[in-house]
Amino acid sequence: MRAALPLDATHGRGLVLVTGATGLLGSMVVRRWAHAAGAPRLAVLVRDAARWRAVSAALAIPEGRVEPLEGDLTAGGLGLTLAERARLARLASGVVHLAADTTFSRPLSDARAVNLEGTRRLLDLADGWRGMTRFALVSTAFVAGRRTGDVPEAAEGAADEVTGWVNAYERSKAEAEALVRAARRDWVVLRSSTVACDDLSGAVTQRNAVHQALRLFHGGLAAMMPGVEASTLDVVPSDYVADAIARLALAPALDGTTVHLCAGAGAMPLAELLDETYALWARAPEWRRRGISVPALGDLTTWEMFERAVASTGDERLRRVTRAMTHFLPQLALPKRFATDRADALLGNRAPAVRDYWGRMIEHLVRTGWRGVAAEQGAAA
Amino acid sequence: MSAGLETRIRAIAYALPAARRTVRELAAAGALTSDPAVLERFGFQHVHVAVEESPYELARAAAERLLAAEDVDPASVGLVVYCGPPSAIAFAAAADAPSAAAAMCTAERFRSPATRLQYELGLDGASVLALDQLACTTLLGAVRVARALCEAEGIDRALCVAGEFYPALAGREALYNCTSDAACALLLEPGSGRGRICGAATITKGYYWDPTARPEEVVASYFPTAVRAIHSTLVDAGWRRDEVDWVIPHNVSVASWDVLMRLAGLPRARLWADNVAARGHTLSGDNFINLHDAIAAGAVRPGDRVLLFSYGYGAHWTGLAVEV
Repeated sequence: MRAALPLDATHGRGLVLVTGATGLLGSMVVRRWAHAAGAPRLAVLVRDAARWRAVSAALAIPEGRVEPLEGDLTAGGLGLTLAERARLARLASGVVHLAADTTFSRPLSDARAVNLEGTRRLLDLADGWRGMTRFALVSTAFVAGRRTGDVPEAAEGAADEVTGWVNAYERSKAEAEALVRAARRDWVVLRSSTVACDDLSGAVTQRNAVHQALRLFHGGLAAMMPGVEASTLDVVPSDYVADAIARLALAPALDGTTVHLCAGAGAMPLAELLDETYALWARAPEWRRRGISVPALGDLTTWEMFERAVASTGDERLRRVTRAMTHFLPQLALPKRFATDRADALLGNRAPAVRDYWGRMIEHLVRTGWRGVAAEQGAAA
Repeated sequence: MSAGLETRIRAIAYALPAARRTVRELAAAGALTSDPAVLERFGFQHVHVAVEESPYELARAAAERLLAAEDVDPASVGLVVYCGPPSAIAFAAAADAPSAAAAMCTAERFRSPATRLQYELGLDGASVLALDQLACTTLLGAVRVARALCEAEGIDRALCVAGEFYPALAGREALYNCTSDAACALLLEPGSGRGRICGAATITKGYYWDPTARPEEVVASYFPTAVRAIHSTLVDAGWRRDEVDWVIPHNVSVASWDVLMRLAGLPRARLWADNVAARGHTLSGDNFINLHDAIAAGAVRPGDRVLLFSYGYGAHWTGLAVEV
């Protein structure tokens, strides 16, 4: 492996527009750049400037280091003023697009409105920028959708209409990737796996569908889950992903490159993961006495039959539990392994293996009383 | 395989009440909580409903039928395991069950259907036990007890009888299943002939003792624990999954059996579910009534390996492996 790309390895010398800067990964990326010597000048597109100021203060970003632009991905011209657009056209040299609607349960039209059409508006905006040299799209590894087996770090890694996707989020991101590749030559696509926790400590700042499913399991509310013998769980800590984005998004000589920010070979076999999880929970005598079983594993057909049976009952509480798992857990019955050779070479290190922090993450969730993890509402990432 | 135990189920007989209702009729009578169309989609069509019969009368009819069909001298029976409601309720017609329940708080509590059965059928050589609180696994529990006692005490012939009503004021639905009334009797004997019991497994989870208090957890616990019980039964029998010729179910939703068969790695074609529509869920008698009917229908043949599985509402999962 070669040495890691530095944070100041910027592709151009102009202003870089970052979307999603108030989100988990976006704020971490901006913080890294804002504190690094030689890093790019930054403008952030935010819906709410006051919220950005709060985030900025929390991240201790130096005054004046980042320029907030109030706007909206779903608005024409991104909701920017003519003056702001003119200024970007004059000064900007790159876009790092992290903003997305990551809610797995959204209808396709809603997911597209943000993830596809928002990307299209950004591309339209950047189209007139004279100094533009990089359009970086932060995507998801699960654009692979329902495909199984090895997933290459390439456009071909995404599923197509025939293969299909598990949820509208995956599909809308695959469509956004295709849009970017067709529109520009200076694109970089950085596909993140699902973020499970902050870092190797296992601490969880932002809860998502993974944690919600775990809470249902912990509560003895999950009868079955999709999964097959070869299934693995590919998740990553946010610090790995943020660091990788900060190093790769603007790095030179990566035009036309797709990179997986995934556990890859470090993904954890599902059976091992469930055994470890339940063994940790069973350390608590009161939990152990409930005799909660590991959910039965079934293939996708079985899962769909189960879902239909639950839906038939009309019992809203049972349906909520099933719905909370249905928008992403089917991935576990579609075993795949994300290639990470390119990411590993560019970054000089691999993503941490899931088993290196999974147990600590489980302990953190229990220790904090599942704070912030909904018990049985619809899944949201 | 169970150590050294060779017991067989020699014969099965059952008795059903005279009245029969369709799912739609039950719905019209306000006896269902779910839409009848849902229960029909789950495979239910008819159930048997006791009106004038008492649980004891049905139990006695099933036992008499069994002894007569097998030409067994009642005095040769060494053990009776009786399953069903106790004392006053056992002797009341279904229509009178709620008022009869009050007698449970009087000295009538000591009127015993198990010993009455012994007396009335001339089972003079039998010691008598009664089982309760295992819900729909009670008759499987009776087989477990009888099998163990046949070995431990050298008993040559045991009669297990279950005569049950679904609680009179509980409607006709339990967890999306349409319930029936019935009685079933089994004759067990030591030996390795037809009906040999090859393995068994029972799982009890006391946490779920009050299933009405935690319905979602009860539903969630069903499948993974059922898979475990089924696999444990096969391990105890020394059978591979592909050696199971038939799965003889308890008559719960066919949709749930479709899922369970897949989760357990058993082909759906090996599930004998013909009685779900015709009989409904007859509580603990299901598996044995079904086995009787599957043999009578020619589906299950001599030498077939059959797996019986039942779930006792809340806390009990039981499997039994039988070579017919």
